[in-house]
Amino acid sequence: MTFKPPRSFELTIPSRLEEMHAVHNLIGEAIKEFDLNDELAHWIELTISESMINAIQHGNKADPAKEATLRISSIGDSIEIIVEDQGCGFKLDNVADPTDTANLLKPSGRGILIIRSFMDEVDLSVREGGGCRLRMVKRIRG
Amino acid sequence: MSMVLNARRLDDIVILDLSGRITIGEGTLILRDYILKLLGQGDRKFLLNLTDVDYIDSSGLGELVSSFTTVRNQSGQLKLLNLTRRVQDLLQITKLLTVFEVFNSEAEALKTMK
Repeated sequence: MTFKPPRSFELTIPSRLEEMHAVHNLIGEAIKEFDLNDELAHWIELTISESMINAIQHGNKADPAKEATLRISSIGDSIEIIVEDQGCGFKLDNVADPTDTANLLKPSGRGILIIRSFMDEVDLSVREGGGCRLRMVKRIRG
Repeated sequence: MSMVLNARRLDDIVILDLSGRITIGEGTLILRDYILKLLGQGDRKFLLNLTDVDYIDSSGLGELVSSFTTVRNQSGQLKLLNLTRRVQDLLQITKLLTVFEVFNSEAEALKTMK
């Protein structure tokens, strides 16, 4: 029996959507390392991508001088994902409900709903020195 | 894999066969530009075939909604065909299944658009 120590993956990018290919590459590496099935892999990729796009566009207002950081780690039977930005912050509870009839036909505002629907834990905190820290946990076994 | 769009025409109905990923940036722009171009040419009936689309992000969903409202505001129709399970799940989560008419059979969809 061999013991495989948990691995973490980390990436910091300037706030440009063109950098998302690096995010998808990192997610691909993590998915392979954590040996996730196709279904989990799909939703993990989608939710991480949504959270990084939020950090770039809404957190950092697409200012390339500001950075967004992604960390993906395995912790026991779970995967923990942390996304940090350097923006002004927001409250999860203040995000308009995109499933409300008044918002159904709006073109944006569904990212947080998708994240919350798939992840087992989602919490947002303010970072010391400014910016937001979104922490998400998904149980992958058990 | 970015999105690929191929168009077919059956009488006055345009069937857009989409494949790949509908995501922020290129994927959403291709769809938007194409539908706007066809609207400008007078087309009003669109059926989006999503058989080969397995990945849509929130921007892609937003683009489907924008296309739907743009077409509807010009008295047109935009309907969806053959959702993959994952796309169906996303439309369920976001309640967009209450917005779009969705079909599993092209023939059935076309019948409602005549």
